[in-house]
Amino acid sequence: MENEIKNGARCKNPLRKRVWRDCLRDWKRYLMIFLMLVLTIAFVSGMYVANNSMEHSLAESVDTYAREDGHFELSSEADAELLSALEKGEQADVAVILRERAYKEAEGEVEKAVRDAIKENIEESVASAIEQQVKEKIYSASAETENAMTDEQKEEMFKKALSAAMDENYDKAVKEALEKAYDSDEYKDALEDGLEEAKKKIDEEIDEKIGEAKENYELDANAVPVPVNIYELFYKELDERINSDASYEGTVRVYIDRDKVDRYDILEGKAPQNADEIAIDRMHADNKKLKVGDSLIVGGKEFKICGLIALVDYTTLFESNTDTMFNALTFDVGVMTKEGYDGLNSSEHKNYAFRYTEKPSDEIEEKEKSDSFLKVLISQTAVSEEEQEIKEYVPAYLSEAINFATDDMGNDKAMGGVLLYILTAVLAFIFAVTISTTLEKEASVIGTLRASGYTKGELVRYYMSAPLIIGVFAAIVGNILGYTVFKDIIVGMYRASYSLPSYKTLWTSEAFIRTTIIPIAIMLIINLIVIVYSLRLTPLRFLRHDLKRSRRKKAIRLPRWKFFSRFRMRVFLQNIPNYIMLFVGITFVMVLLSMAVGMPTTLSSYKESVDEMMFADHQIILTSTKDSDGNVIETNSEGAERFSMVSLNYKRKGFTEEVMVYGSEEGSRYIKLDKGYFGSGSNAVYVSKAFADKYDIKKDDMIDLSEKYENKDYRWRVYDIFDYSAGIAVFMSNDMFRSEFGKKEGYFTGYFTDEEITDIDEKYIAKVITSDDVAKIANQLDNSLGAYMSYFQYLCVIISAAVLYLLTKIIIEKNERSISMVKILGYRDGEISSLYMITTALVTIITELISLYLGYIFMKSYWRSMLMELGGWFEFKMTASGFVKEFVMVFIAYLIITVFDFIRIKKIPKVLALKNTE
Amino acid sequence: MSRADKKFLKVSGLTKSFGTGDTKQDVLKGIDFTVAKGEFCVLLGPSGSGKSTLLNILGGIDSADKGEILIAGDKLSAMNEKGLTNYRRKHLGYVFQMYNLIPNLNVKENIETGAYLSDSPLDIDELLKTLGLYEHRHKLPNQLSGGQQQRVSIGRAIVKNPDLLLCDEPTGALDYTTSKEILQLIEEINQKYGNTIIMVTHNEAIKLMADHVIKLRDGKIRHDDMNTKKITAAELEW
Repeated sequence: MENEIKNGARCKNPLRKRVWRDCLRDWKRYLMIFLMLVLTIAFVSGMYVANNSMEHSLAESVDTYAREDGHFELSSEADAELLSALEKGEQADVAVILRERAYKEAEGEVEKAVRDAIKENIEESVASAIEQQVKEKIYSASAETENAMTDEQKEEMFKKALSAAMDENYDKAVKEALEKAYDSDEYKDALEDGLEEAKKKIDEEIDEKIGEAKENYELDANAVPVPVNIYELFYKELDERINSDASYEGTVRVYIDRDKVDRYDILEGKAPQNADEIAIDRMHADNKKLKVGDSLIVGGKEFKICGLIALVDYTTLFESNTDTMFNALTFDVGVMTKEGYDGLNSSEHKNYAFRYTEKPSDEIEEKEKSDSFLKVLISQTAVSEEEQEIKEYVPAYLSEAINFATDDMGNDKAMGGVLLYILTAVLAFIFAVTISTTLEKEASVIGTLRASGYTKGELVRYYMSAPLIIGVFAAIVGNILGYTVFKDIIVGMYRASYSLPSYKTLWTSEAFIRTTIIPIAIMLIINLIVIVYSLRLTPLRFLRHDLKRSRRKKAIRLPRWKFFSRFRMRVFLQNIPNYIMLFVGITFVMVLLSMAVGMPTTLSSYKESVDEMMFADHQIILTSTKDSDGNVIETNSEGAERFSMVSLNYKRKGFTEEVMVYGSEEGSRYIKLDKGYFGSGSNAVYVSKAFADKYDIKKDDMIDLSEKYENKDYRWRVYDIFDYSAGIAVFMSNDMFRSEFGKKEGYFTGYFTDEEITDIDEKYIAKVITSDDVAKIANQLDNSLGAYMSYFQYLCVIISAAVLYLLTKIIIEKNERSISMVKILGYRDGEISSLYMITTALVTIITELISLYLGYIFMKSYWRSMLMELGGWFEFKMTASGFVKEFVMVFIAYLIITVFDFIRIKKIPKVLALKNTE
Repeated sequence: MSRADKKFLKVSGLTKSFGTGDTKQDVLKGIDFTVAKGEFCVLLGPSGSGKSTLLNILGGIDSADKGEILIAGDKLSAMNEKGLTNYRRKHLGYVFQMYNLIPNLNVKENIETGAYLSDSPLDIDELLKTLGLYEHRHKLPNQLSGGQQQRVSIGRAIVKNPDLLLCDEPTGALDYTTSKEILQLIEEINQKYGNTIIMVTHNEAIKLMADHVIKLRDGKIRHDDMNTKKITAAELEW
């Protein structure tokens, strides 16, 4: 009989065919997961590609456009000698140079003084000797004469004789005596003594003057030189007006067209060629809807915009390096021809850019070099013939205008990556829950297959196929979309914030690893863990449908509720793992929604309250407190009050905050400090509420601040918190201010006023701070992020709908047979829906409420950490209506899904309960 | 039948209990028997007699507390989980009361799930003809009757031409006519492919078509007889 048996070839695993059918059978669920993965991967991959390409082109632009390694501004134009000394990069030995110079000056002065003294002495002696001689001569002659002379005659004769003798002998005698005196030892001794005394005085003065600086900056004449090339990059800052918007008041910083350093990319139009042409920043032009060919009024003169450019030293429009946020709305930079520039009527900032002749190899070396060059700058300007003051020193690595965009892109990438991973994990869990439901449903088949000899590995591989396929396909499609559509969207977003040069799309392995390998790995690992864990049971337990990890001996006892309530409670208990997933998913959405809803609220509430927060409508900072005639600059503006201010650094780990320190008078109408404070005479200060909130500073804490360009530290006790939220500031009495900062009586920095000051010449005004300046952070954030927040809100609704869809589907599927059975028993669809759906509705509502709070808490701390790396402070705010909006948005998503669920329940056939498991 | 053949399956001193302490229940209380190669053995007994537990232990999906099982010289208790899986893969075919077919694979593909496990499976088309399913080979399980589904499940078990075919109440969910058809099929397979078959049933009538009848009650073997008056499945009546 055995001879009749015909054997076939070994077949391929038929389960493979099933994988595709599984995917098709459950296409809605898989499609949902697929689409969400595709969208997230596409967005993040677009972000990575755009960022990497941009970062690459920015890195390249350092050479392409000869970007500076830093710049500094001096109080007046540097002479050739100073420039040459700076270019050599050698630190000046300030003490030696100043001493030599002073000694030389002193030598002449001492010699002159000694000689003058000797001369005076000799002249006196000679005159007295001649007089004596003449007197003797006259009186002895008179005694020899018979005819005695009257006294008058004698006197007359004496005068004549003295005059004659002086004319004849004085000069000769003085000269001879001087020659003799200069040759004498006494003279030499006197000279030496004088010089010694003078030098002693000079030494004392110099030691006092530079001793501190020397110590603070560790000035060292033997330091390794930091040779640099220095380029003039003078600029003028003028009012910018545009014809189309009468209310617009901006500032434009104008440079002469550059060719050696900090060149620019022309994105549209051409470089300026005529005196009436200006090329301006593309980003600012976009914000103000300016095009090539439009006119721009700069300092009252009309110019034609000839080009839209991206300057390599202004990838982000930071007006000042200490600003909290860039300002592409009211701040602009432009270049024009020399003739055009010379025609502008404004004071010129003597700004110089420098480039190291030997490029630092990394950031650490760059920092060392820039620190060394600062010492060069300090020492060389200190010994400069002409009095020089360093107004600003910004090495490239600390320049916000240069680095902000790159840093932000880096942060975005990190943030995007985190979002991608969280969402992938959420989806992977949903996937895993789906699979584990499938495993429960297919327990008999799994038991049979395992009993027939299928290994666990074979089944794990089979059940892993769907997540693998979905993950891989989503990654492929997501990457394609990322490199094409989404990359352009992201670039568009960055271009809305930054002045970026043109770029080339760059294919990087980083984007591939982060948006493809890692999400797929997350997907697979989570699924693998769940599947391996589920399949660990024996075949027999699968055959018996005995899959619960811990078999509850008894059902949980429920209170004597109504039947429906107890039924719903059972549904809840049965689906706890699904509801946990629902909670995780909704919390994730709520965090995103908190940002999407809270950010605009925070910004607008800040903007609205800025006016109230300012202690004066205008804060005028003067360039000098005295005019060119030496008179103190006064104003008749009503209510104007003098104030003193310096800016210090508050150093934190990895970030340095700029702190404004104000001196105030008792009874000031602008900074109203407590009367008791002035009387206390203590070495204590007030800190602004913003300062206290940001760094959690409390009354009686000690704060440490330090000078920006010196290593001088200040340590003060906090007297109290001053209710001022518009800035990071410290307030103290004027007396304390003067004594702490070594200022003379009467010192002040500018005026506070609520009225606009019109009687101070513009050239003496360095800066006017108004509420617009303070609100510009919020305006800029709003402008660059605000528009995306509403899209983000819709995205959140879609994500929450998808999560709810996937999870409620699982819950209903799990109960299909029971639902079918209660239908047979005679329950109506409405009743069944209320049994199964109200539980989920309640869970959704409770989850929403909890996750609303969690999302808010998370965003609050995220906001704090974000602002920790930016200067300034304002708190994350969410209004009650914001919370309601978040809640409603997710609930609407739930209601939409409920319709699907209701249809699904309605479609469950009654016969299902009567059929075999298969 | 040689002596070695007679000892194709040897069970000795098998015991199994569930639970502990007061709830401890002895299901098998020392089972000893042997089955020869190619023999059609029926395990008879009422519900709770331990026959399914015995079958599961023979199939390596459950374990005994004590005792030994030797199949073609291999000691089951010496095998680890991997060894047991391999044992089932190479030597065993399983047929259950519920057919446990994969719903989205057609008839042929469901049989292929068994064929995949063997290096030299039976020719599937020929088997489909033997099973009377050739015309239905492209149908999905839900398009088949209960009897046809059970045929598929038998096909899935037999396609790898196992040494031992374990059938757990294969006709338990079927009507009289269909049950007889299935029994005829099992009989035909036994004759055609010469597999050793152990079938668990509570249907006394089936013992008449077996070579070897073991009756269990309360976890013990009450009768272990060879059937000398074997009739065909077609002749069975109940």
